Amino acid sequence: MSTIASLQFWAFVGVIAGIYTILALGLQVQFGFTGLLNFGHAAFMAVGAYTMAILVVKAGWPLWGASLAAIAVAIGFGLLLGLPTLRLRADYLAITTIAFAEIVRYVAINAQGLTGGPVGTIALAGPGEAASYNRDWLEFQRSVQDGLEVVIGENATRDVTMLVLVWAVALVLLVVVEAAVRTPWGRVLKSIRDDEDAASALGKNVFAYKLQALAVGAALAAIAGLFFAFQFSFFSPGDFDPLVTFFAYTIVILGGTARNWAVPVGAVLFGVIFAGTRFFDFPPFSLLDSGERAYVRLIVIGLVLIGLVLFRPQGLLGKREEMVLE
Amino acid sequence: MSLLQADDVAKRFGGLAAVDGASLTVQERSITALIGPNGAGKTTLFNIFSGFIRPERGSVLLNEVRIDGRPPHAVNRRGLVRTFQTPRALRRMSVLENVLLAAPHQPGERLWRLVATPGSVRRREREIEEQARELLRLVRLDGLAQEYAGTLSGGQRKLLEFARALMTGPRIVLLDEPMAGVSPPLAIQLLDHMRTLREERGLTFFLVDHDLEMVMSVSDHVIVMNEGRVIAAGTPDEVRADPLVVDAYLGTHGRAVG
Amino acid sequence: MTELFQLAANGLVTGSIIAIGAVGVSLVYGILRIVNFAHGDYLVFGAYVALAVNVGWNGHIVLAAVAAVGATALLGAGLEFALWRPLRRKGAGLFSLFIAAIGLALVLRHVVFLVGEARPRRYDVDVFQVYDLGGVRLSQSQLIAIGIAFSAIVLVAFLLARTGLGKSMRALSDDRSLAAVAGIDVDRTVVFTWVLAGGLAGIAGLLQALILSAFTPNFGFALLLPIFAAVVLGGIGSAYGALVGGLVLGLVMELSTWDALAGGAPSVYKPVVAFSVLILVLLLRPQGVFGKARVV
Repeated sequence: MSTIASLQFWAFVGVIAGIYTILALGLQVQFGFTGLLNFGHAAFMAVGAYTMAILVVKAGWPLWGASLAAIAVAIGFGLLLGLPTLRLRADYLAITTIAFAEIVRYVAINAQGLTGGPVGTIALAGPGEAASYNRDWLEFQRSVQDGLEVVIGENATRDVTMLVLVWAVALVLLVVVEAAVRTPWGRVLKSIRDDEDAASALGKNVFAYKLQALAVGAALAAIAGLFFAFQFSFFSPGDFDPLVTFFAYTIVILGGTARNWAVPVGAVLFGVIFAGTRFFDFPPFSLLDSGERAYVRLIVIGLVLIGLVLFRPQGLLGKREEMVLE
Repeated sequence: MSLLQADDVAKRFGGLAAVDGASLTVQERSITALIGPNGAGKTTLFNIFSGFIRPERGSVLLNEVRIDGRPPHAVNRRGLVRTFQTPRALRRMSVLENVLLAAPHQPGERLWRLVATPGSVRRREREIEEQARELLRLVRLDGLAQEYAGTLSGGQRKLLEFARALMTGPRIVLLDEPMAGVSPPLAIQLLDHMRTLREERGLTFFLVDHDLEMVMSVSDHVIVMNEGRVIAAGTPDEVRADPLVVDAYLGTHGRAVG
Repeated sequence: MTELFQLAANGLVTGSIIAIGAVGVSLVYGILRIVNFAHGDYLVFGAYVALAVNVGWNGHIVLAAVAAVGATALLGAGLEFALWRPLRRKGAGLFSLFIAAIGLALVLRHVVFLVGEARPRRYDVDVFQVYDLGGVRLSQSQLIAIGIAFSAIVLVAFLLARTGLGKSMRALSDDRSLAAVAGIDVDRTVVFTWVLAGGLAGIAGLLQALILSAFTPNFGFALLLPIFAAVVLGGIGSAYGALVGGLVLGLVMELSTWDALAGGAPSVYKPVVAFSVLILVLLLRPQGVFGKARVV
């Protein structure tokens, strides 16, 4: 393989890792710091992506305005989800949030007039017309790409440009979240994770903070959704399958919860497991076709989860005292 | 003056009346004890006072304001703090963070204040860190300030709970079995702290414990519960001599003869 | 009117399958406090074992059913020894168990994908044979499903009510520490619970695959949330409640499409009906219809 081709491929993997970093960071705030078992996280991503696409294609909004609105709508959705469900016990909360997320996915599949239906946003502009909300983004990306070309020459392809953009945002968000967690606000979140009754007895309005954690997580997931939409031009409800939430959880647990900097590590590791197995041209992988390799990947992810729970609950980088899988 | 007052408070669980019309008064600046045999309803009453359980009947007044049915955090903001029978240390946070958390009026706990007024956030944080370290010194845990609270022994966690409770700046502290599992020298220290805090800061302590000797020696006022009701209240001597109290602890000796 | 009866009949078919799945989930939850997220894939496992027997080896569908039950029961027991017991010994908490279940679901489902095929499969039964019972039309598969489902329900009800094992299970579900003190062999009862839950999952999987006419390994997850909804509706930890909850939910799902109800919900939204029931019950009456209000 020529260097360019493999660079392209790994740039693509890097973009996915970056998107998942932002998504998993949202989960880190909700689950790693506050202890909320939100299993409908992918729905926030979907709400962010779809809101932006619908506003641009159907309402003619400019891209940046639509993106901000998308984040706001996702936050709103998070509050809507949280208000009735946050008082539920942990395992009930988990099931309820999955149910919510599935409702979102079903609506996305069936409300064809609104969302383009099962084929996704390509059908947003109606039958026969291919919708595109990407124009403004592609222009912006082009200008960044031109700038990059000055620095790295012909390696500045679309995927590499996207890589830089996604990771720039991811790193900013990581810094912000890390700073937020070290504040008194972050301290309250951590106390809720450890013992919400104790936190409550010490004067903290636990419910309000849980809502805030949910809202912040939703905003981050929406940003991940936006990048997903920009990267892939078109997306469909199947892209926001519960599997996506499970992947995000795998990343958070792999890195060791309560450790923000472990999230990108987990995401990159995850990206490598996922994409890297494509190129393993030796047995036993060479015996499997691409469809079968996809199944093997998922089996591996499942075994990783089980293995982590059984043998290393603090994750790869976590400390035993901060174990969340207890 | 009465700081905490309960009037005819009742709560059932399933078919069982855990608290069955209890009325009591805790005077300001006192060390008051709540005693009674197991199952008398003492912990349930504590849960009602601190807002974890809503009573079915009756009222609870803190400083003449009704607090029954209010959530725990609201009750705490009004000046009542409670400790738990099994200490609830925040295990994955440091000892210092446990105490810092308890401080009231922290602008840094609000997202918008973090962005809008970072200066006052920092100032308050410095203030409470000083206070927190002082409290930790009081309970001899200052050397362990950076340790994870989860690594503390049972007795140390009790002390941490005590320090944390004081940090909330309360008017009344409800202590649920503060001496259980604590070594005698430590227990004596705690009692000394309670007396000192009552004198110097005007705090009120309301404690539940099974160590009757200790309770009688430290309390100004003793309230006795049995089967969900208050059956006696008075000074330790008065209560000790009360035949109803003797009955409650020793069984139905009196009644059988009756 | 016939439309109503038709929908009700369909509802009973769906409902009884959900009920059987739900009993297994409820028993496991009641005793182990595990929300077995992988349960849908136990169903899939059973369905595909049956497929192997029925289509792969040309066995009769009844033989395939027996194989499904046996294999999934074995799976249930095997996983107890390989996964759940070690986790319990390590003091795994709620979240750990949930994540382990998700991992297990991924593994089970995709092993089936790997060994079976991704394309929709179906059993070797006559799909065109339809019976007309007073205006209500039911396919052969549906009738088989109802027959087997109701037999299974009766058997389970009998097992729980009359046998020593059933009583142990109910005692354990009610109060674990008390049951252990009362001399019940906790470990053995737990294994049997998994065997029963597994066997029931095998039946449910087979029946669901049967009435779906064409199925892929994804059908288990699609049925999982309705199963949870049935468990929650009936009352978590109550096996009888799960049975009733399943039947009621099946009826509600089918009847929601009745056009006398303001046009009726579009049939694609039937799962949404199940999800909504789940959410509403948890919000309004978390202990379900038959459950005890636990002091959480």
